[in-house]
Amino acid sequence: MGMRRFAFVLMGAVALAAVWSASQAQSQLAPGPFTDAQARAGRDAYAANCASCHQANLAGVGEQPPLAGAGFMSAWGRRTTKEFYDDIRAQMPYGRAGSLDAATYQNITAFVLMANGAHAGSQAFDGSQAVRVSTIANGQVPADIAAPRRGGGDEGGAGGRAPAMTLGQTLVGNIKNYAPVSDAMLVHPDPKDWLIYRGNYQAWSHSALKQINAGNVEQLQLKWSWAMNEGGENATGPTIHDGIMFLANTSNTVQALDAKTGELLWENRLGPLATRAYSALRSLAVYEDKVYINATDARLYALDAKTGKLVWKTDIAEPGKGFNETGGLIIAHGKVIVGLTLCRGQMPHCYISAYDAKTGKQAWKFTTIAAPGTPGGDTWGNVPDDMRAGGETWIAGTYDPDLNITYWGTAQSKPWMQASRRSGTASTLYANSTLALDADTGQLKWYYSHAPGETFDLDEVFERVLIDHGPQKTLMTIGKAGILWKLDRVTGKFLDAKQTVFQNVYSGINMKTGQLSFRPDVLAQKTNTWISSCPSAAGGHDWPPTSYDPANDLMIIPLNQSCNMMLGHDVAQHTGVVQPEGEEKLFFMPGTDGNMGRLAAYRTSTMEPVWSFQQRSSFLTGVLSTDGNLAFVGDYDRVFRAVETTSGKTLWTVRLPTVVQGNPVTFEADGKQYIAITTGLGGGSPFSKPSSMLGELHHPDHGHALYVFALPDKVSGR
Amino acid sequence: MRFFFTALLSFCVAAGAAAAADQVFASRLTPVAYDGAMRANVQGDGQVSATLSGNKLTVTGSFTGLPSAATGVGLYSGSGIGVPGMPLQNLTLTGQTEGSVSGTVTLNAKQLAAFRQGHVYVQLNSQKAPDGNLWGWLLPDHPFAGVNVPEKGHGFLPQLDVPGNWVQK
Repeated sequence: MGMRRFAFVLMGAVALAAVWSASQAQSQLAPGPFTDAQARAGRDAYAANCASCHQANLAGVGEQPPLAGAGFMSAWGRRTTKEFYDDIRAQMPYGRAGSLDAATYQNITAFVLMANGAHAGSQAFDGSQAVRVSTIANGQVPADIAAPRRGGGDEGGAGGRAPAMTLGQTLVGNIKNYAPVSDAMLVHPDPKDWLIYRGNYQAWSHSALKQINAGNVEQLQLKWSWAMNEGGENATGPTIHDGIMFLANTSNTVQALDAKTGELLWENRLGPLATRAYSALRSLAVYEDKVYINATDARLYALDAKTGKLVWKTDIAEPGKGFNETGGLIIAHGKVIVGLTLCRGQMPHCYISAYDAKTGKQAWKFTTIAAPGTPGGDTWGNVPDDMRAGGETWIAGTYDPDLNITYWGTAQSKPWMQASRRSGTASTLYANSTLALDADTGQLKWYYSHAPGETFDLDEVFERVLIDHGPQKTLMTIGKAGILWKLDRVTGKFLDAKQTVFQNVYSGINMKTGQLSFRPDVLAQKTNTWISSCPSAAGGHDWPPTSYDPANDLMIIPLNQSCNMMLGHDVAQHTGVVQPEGEEKLFFMPGTDGNMGRLAAYRTSTMEPVWSFQQRSSFLTGVLSTDGNLAFVGDYDRVFRAVETTSGKTLWTVRLPTVVQGNPVTFEADGKQYIAITTGLGGGSPFSKPSSMLGELHHPDHGHALYVFALPDKVSGR
Repeated sequence: MRFFFTALLSFCVAAGAAAAADQVFASRLTPVAYDGAMRANVQGDGQVSATLSGNKLTVTGSFTGLPSAATGVGLYSGSGIGVPGMPLQNLTLTGQTEGSVSGTVTLNAKQLAAFRQGHVYVQLNSQKAPDGNLWGWLLPDHPFAGVNVPEKGHGFLPQLDVPGNWVQK
């Protein structure tokens, strides 16, 4: 027998042994407390209600945990079938908890068990049988379920909440006399426009308009509204130029509307259909004669601003690998700069990349995970390169045109917990950092690691706000830990920090360097052990961005108040997809009387808090401030409000049909100032946590829309 | 000179009275940390207040809306505010799905130190949630200004247990 033949025989024997071993393991499992008919019905119900988030193969994605295989068994093996049933009935489907009938939840439970190697018995599952999962399931996923899914990105299939619509351009525009957007316009935006995601390059979300002001805001009234695509996640804000509003809908549908009347001017449904819960498209951008959108499936499109027709498109990342875009983009010095998300240890890692605005050709790329042997590579300890995950950039960066530097925040490393990640308190560069990159080349100018060893899913990814204090150029940002940071944006040097909500993760900070110290039991953490974290993964601050009012030197910050217990799983250090690998249990933050929402204003020169108020409901929009001494913000309980910037006093409220979520903007058309805001569902942790904790607050599970307000033609008072 | 001594005496009396004054603490009782599987059994609401006089702590409070009958209530202590820990002392319970809690306990030096740092909390257990149904950390009384009512500064921030919080090391 030749060596080759011997090898084949040996491999065959090994394979047979593996099959025999698996069948033996299967046969040793007790029958599950469900029937085959339930599991088959559950498969259809799962496809319709769960697969868009947890994937058709139950592998999970992003913050959606796996429902099959080792990850599922780590989380549920020691628990019972009844607990799993109670859990999904109380929390699922995402955003529609408890909306299915009992039989459907029972069937889905049966299917998930079957997908983990359980086999049906003769007894139907009625929700009451508390059988330890590990006695009936082993995590071995049947081949017909484990088979790789088709496509990636949002191509999660036709199930879930995908809207029934055809893709493509439905209306070709013919906008006359469109004035191209120049670099100078972006550097000094006309207050009548809203050209950039956060209002200006510095992310102030502030307008010099003051026709609507603290003296007349109570007369604000609805002028027009526009129903937006359902499905997916809506957390966007419009861009306005020259009386034209450009609006990103779910399913990557881009529309141009007359900003004064709400008339549709053109529409291009780029697709794919939105089926995933985490698929918000927070912004688009305009430059010269084009509209740019980084679609949720990691494709970058340039559309003709006058007609909506496609000019060019390019792939930001390899299609079909599940890469994702949510954070919008920024255009600086002729380049379209975008981030990347859902890089789960698969190669390549996440990166920030720039594209020529005229052609779509890639200009540069900066990878946000340091590989072994590269600068910062040793900050991951011995973690293999293909297990280094996270560092996503899911919020668009900002830009200093004088320094020609673009500033980006990065998300945490994954798995979430140090004990699962096996990286200790090392900084796992460039996760949870501020990155300062040359806008022309992508060269790293400096970085600042905010939370080395972060372990509770507390991102520091959010907006970098650029504020000058006299001659000092600063960068301010606030992450999920609720710490407001001030850095020198020329050098990256730490200047100051301020705690804005209660936290118990860090026991101190070195005010010379900004280095944080962990609570001792956080440092001593082990896998499969619950550890407390305040704030929770919903963050003291999350994606709803801040606003900076320069006249009053006030930063107005939406804050969340909740805590969680977190448990990290054991994660094998082998090549493969890296998931968050954690579980959490929520509770109300001590000292808050059960109020999850807090809006607070800080004077940025001194970091002193000026005012703050609390409410039961979380704030789910960014803040817009204006020279009218007003700040606008919306919340989970469907309230959109205006407060006096200097005092925090509420001056005007309106109740909208569903959750107020997105980014309010203001603009002027034909001499009249307007305020626009979206309603929407989804939105990640800031949306899901109140959904779970504030059971007395209700909202429809649909209603994505845009609302535009203005004063009446005849205004009384000031 | 007489004025100086009078002022000093007044200051000392006032300071002594302040030191001897009872200190009031409070907490809302809210559901313990839960996931979906626990949610049906971990419901309810409540309020407790506590008065510390020397090392004697007197606790009173009420609760309502438990999904199953309360089985016990006590003081617990962890390693931080919002960090669950071990039982410290039992309190008296009356009622089932709604009722009251009360008790006076003497804290030893270690317990007193933990209490002053905000690490002590009241936990109420019930038949269907034997490991905890409601809890609340006893923190200095902090009357809620009201929904959407702005306070100057950042309002109550119970950062009692971080030594020299945010000060230079």
